[in-house]
Amino acid sequence: MATLTVPTPGTGKPRVLRSRAAGKLLLLALLTAVLLPLLDRWGNGSWPHALTVHLDRPLTTASDWVIDNRDSHPLFLYFFGYVSNAVIWAVRAVYLTLLAAGWAGVTAFAALLAWRVAGVRLAAGTAVAFLACGVLGMWVPTMQTLALMAVAVLASVVVGALLGLAAGLSDRLDRALRPVLDTMQVLPAFAYLLPVVLVFGIGVPAAVLATVVYAAPPMARLTALGLRGADPEVLEAVESLGATRRQRLLTARIPLARKELLLGLNQTIMMALSMAVIAAVIGAGGLGDRVYQALASVDVGAALAAGIPIVLLAVVLDRVTAAAGDGTTRPRTIGWPYALAVTVAVALATRLLGASDWPGGWTLGIAEPVNRAVDWMTAHLYSGVPVVGGTADWAGHFTTWVLDPVRDGLQWLPWWSVLLVVAALAWLIGTWRTALTAVLAMAAIGVLGVWEPSLDTLSQVLAAVAVTLVLGFATGIAAARSDRVERALRPVLDVFQTMPQFVYLIPVVALFGVGRAPAVAAAVVYALPAVVRITAQGLRQVDQAALESARSLGATGRQQLWQVQLPLARRALLLAVNQGVVLVLAVVIIGGLVGGGALGYDVAFGLAQGDLATGLVAGAAIVCLGLMLDRVTQPTERRAKKGA
Amino acid sequence: MSLTVPTRKPPTTTESVFSVSGLWKVFGPRPERVPEDPALATLTPAELRSRTGCTAAVRDVSFDVRKGEVFVVMGLSGSGKSTLVRCLTRLIEPTAGTIAIDGEDVRAMDKARLRELRRHRAAMVFQHFGLLPHRTVLDNVAYGLEIQGVGKSERRERAAEFVAKVGLEGMEKRRPGQLSGGQRQRVGLARALAVDPEVLLFDEPFSALDPLIRRDMQDEVTRLHREEGRTMVFITHDLTEALKLGDRIALMRDGQVVQLGTPEEIVGDPADDYVREFVRDVPREQVMTARRAMRPLSSDDTETGPAIRPEATVAEAIEAVARAGEPARVMDKGRCLGVVDPEQLLGVVAGVDAPAAGEAAAGTRAARTAPVPRKAASRRRGRAPQPPAGTAPEAV
Repeated sequence: MATLTVPTPGTGKPRVLRSRAAGKLLLLALLTAVLLPLLDRWGNGSWPHALTVHLDRPLTTASDWVIDNRDSHPLFLYFFGYVSNAVIWAVRAVYLTLLAAGWAGVTAFAALLAWRVAGVRLAAGTAVAFLACGVLGMWVPTMQTLALMAVAVLASVVVGALLGLAAGLSDRLDRALRPVLDTMQVLPAFAYLLPVVLVFGIGVPAAVLATVVYAAPPMARLTALGLRGADPEVLEAVESLGATRRQRLLTARIPLARKELLLGLNQTIMMALSMAVIAAVIGAGGLGDRVYQALASVDVGAALAAGIPIVLLAVVLDRVTAAAGDGTTRPRTIGWPYALAVTVAVALATRLLGASDWPGGWTLGIAEPVNRAVDWMTAHLYSGVPVVGGTADWAGHFTTWVLDPVRDGLQWLPWWSVLLVVAALAWLIGTWRTALTAVLAMAAIGVLGVWEPSLDTLSQVLAAVAVTLVLGFATGIAAARSDRVERALRPVLDVFQTMPQFVYLIPVVALFGVGRAPAVAAAVVYALPAVVRITAQGLRQVDQAALESARSLGATGRQQLWQVQLPLARRALLLAVNQGVVLVLAVVIIGGLVGGGALGYDVAFGLAQGDLATGLVAGAAIVCLGLMLDRVTQPTERRAKKGA
Repeated sequence: MSLTVPTRKPPTTTESVFSVSGLWKVFGPRPERVPEDPALATLTPAELRSRTGCTAAVRDVSFDVRKGEVFVVMGLSGSGKSTLVRCLTRLIEPTAGTIAIDGEDVRAMDKARLRELRRHRAAMVFQHFGLLPHRTVLDNVAYGLEIQGVGKSERRERAAEFVAKVGLEGMEKRRPGQLSGGQRQRVGLARALAVDPEVLLFDEPFSALDPLIRRDMQDEVTRLHREEGRTMVFITHDLTEALKLGDRIALMRDGQVVQLGTPEEIVGDPADDYVREFVRDVPREQVMTARRAMRPLSSDDTETGPAIRPEATVAEAIEAVARAGEPARVMDKGRCLGVVDPEQLLGVVAGVDAPAAGEAAAGTRAARTAPVPRKAASRRRGRAPQPPAGTAPEAV
């Protein structure tokens, strides 16, 4: 507020104006002072009714029209119909192949594949993971998920690589595509579900297409990055030898981008798995569906039985694809023809023995004991534990003392002041473009008529982000300053970062029951690894010479941290905040499935009830919220070149 | 261009491979106006930048590269030498001027013709090697041939020959990442040689290498040049390297050639204070020749004393004079051209010798348009100076 008392600047600039930040704030304050009387007639409370556009009716009409015409309109008959059929056919083909190979064939093939690209240890790990899926009684759902993923990953890679190729070779396409891909990357997975459901209805095609839309951007981004990042001198050398454009692309640019391409494949697979699980909400079936059903009836044991295979799949897929991409050369292990031959032999052998389905006696029902344990926890740990209280007590206290006040505070604020705060934050951290995008996104939420639930979601996000940042920065600083802490944390972070969002809901439901606090807890756990990792890396990558010179001047550890490391790692810290916000939002939205309410619940409700209008509006609000939160936390340097 | 020429013939012809005249390369908005407008063309770099936002990397440069010679372009970083060599094969498109290779206008070439030039007539060696990290040494060397469409077995066979030629036998299967810097540059060299080009272009090929490796590589280039007599254009910022390798040196500053001449001319008759400052620490006795140090035969000279060749360095002459204890005679084809005595030699080493008549102008700016070659340039190959590091321009 100090800036507001500064007298009107005369010819000599007051010192405070020389600071850019103060100048920006002053300008915003002036703007508000001018506009306030105009805005006043819409009241000082929640988003004014007069500025709301009701989209329910047109959206319902549109959705009805789609449902009515799905079997008759040429657009559906000759385009979407074919797409849908092709997807169903492909998924079914893969699924039947997997079933035909039997559990032994699939396990053998996966292990041989892992051996080929990643060595013996990962091969053993892969085999164990697949067998564990069978032991948990989840073989068939695992194969369903795998089949869906295989088709989605293939499509994502093709689409992503083509887009990336275009963006890598053409500057104009790159400029056009990059903001779109950047934005797609920050949107919560839930937001992608409804538009595809509108067109394809609930079912496998919708699930596959949502997965493709969600998983293709990293492939496209990394392909473009790899093509653009090629060593210019190598390309010049290639040109100096008289290579044609085609030769340059095929013999130099694509091989040089190998690392990025494989990283893109890795990320695409991980995102596809994450989405294939979430897409259970729109009929993907498989493991995600089991988790979803179990969570709906708060059956933690069943949810865990389906959740463990998801985690195992995620870890195996991540390690194997990452090992393929890390570029170290390994001794030759086994050729593809042999791998295929062994697979076929194993599959035939089990078939002849009549054991191609997972043997019924080999399963281990963990649902019962887990549920007993959860019941015991409910009885003993939920509340009334001496001194520390119980987990449910914590959740209740958190809701009462943190979530409620923040939500009520946000909803109490005049609508225009929310916009003002958004503008001020975005402008201070970023540029006027990011501020404008953020304010427009926030205003769009109001116009859509979901101001109140959005602020509810926002309050959960803010609370979760605050907790995440406190824990994440503290852990990150500890990891950066002590090698031992970093070594201890690394495997934990590795596993946590590969798990799909959905899985985090299982333990929090077990611990805290349902409600907003568990949603926040899941969001914190999900976002924490990324924040810790970025913080630790940022601090460790601080210029060693600067640190050394500070030490040589006799700075204490604390002085080094505050005066050298943290200021120099500012960009990394901002990035950690940005990532934290984006990740937290994604899970807070999914938290709608476990009683988080607000926008996530609207989407889930819309899907469950076939009320697409409600769901779509909520989905649009999620997009706007994601956009706003991303832009508000976007550091200047990264955004400045690209525009908002 | 045979690969088996046993000894190197001195460049006796004046036939030029590259002929460059009035070459400009301007970076910035609307660059073409700078060479066209005399008012802009004469501005200093700072003025030009503030007036137009343009940077002239190469300003009105003219020279000829003669067949079989090593033509060194030497200058500090930012002097435009790397841009200049890239303009020769239009890796960077020149703004104005003409470039001809064997009389054919390079700037008028269409894409196919230009590719032909790059594939067969001029090959380049790069500072940071520019190797393809995913290919083996052999496939890197064969890459130029692959681009030309040579079949796999043939190009591998030919590549293996050049891998051996640069001394990398047994390393064919390695990847660039497994090689040392010097070995990588040998691969770069072999790749350029494998396409059997008319001209080799070197862009600061050894500046990323350690001093000892650098000397090895310089000797390697000298050896290759002696064996094959291939024309070379060599870019460097290292004066020692320039003096060691160059038959003629073009010294660049701010995009312009400030002096073009033999090493002896550059060291002996600096065109201006910049060049003088540049060559101040060069051990002159290793660069200057007896021809320059000698005085005419006078009547009181005896017919005795050791005989030395006119191309012998002053250092060699000093040794001969010191051993014999009397002045040495400079003999060429049985004829006595003159005499060097201690006084003359000391004068050359101290740099107080007056340039011989007619020689002073040869290396100055006037030489920009195809200077007449000064008889046979000094032949100092193999025992060129290894002066202390202090002569490297970075340390000047």
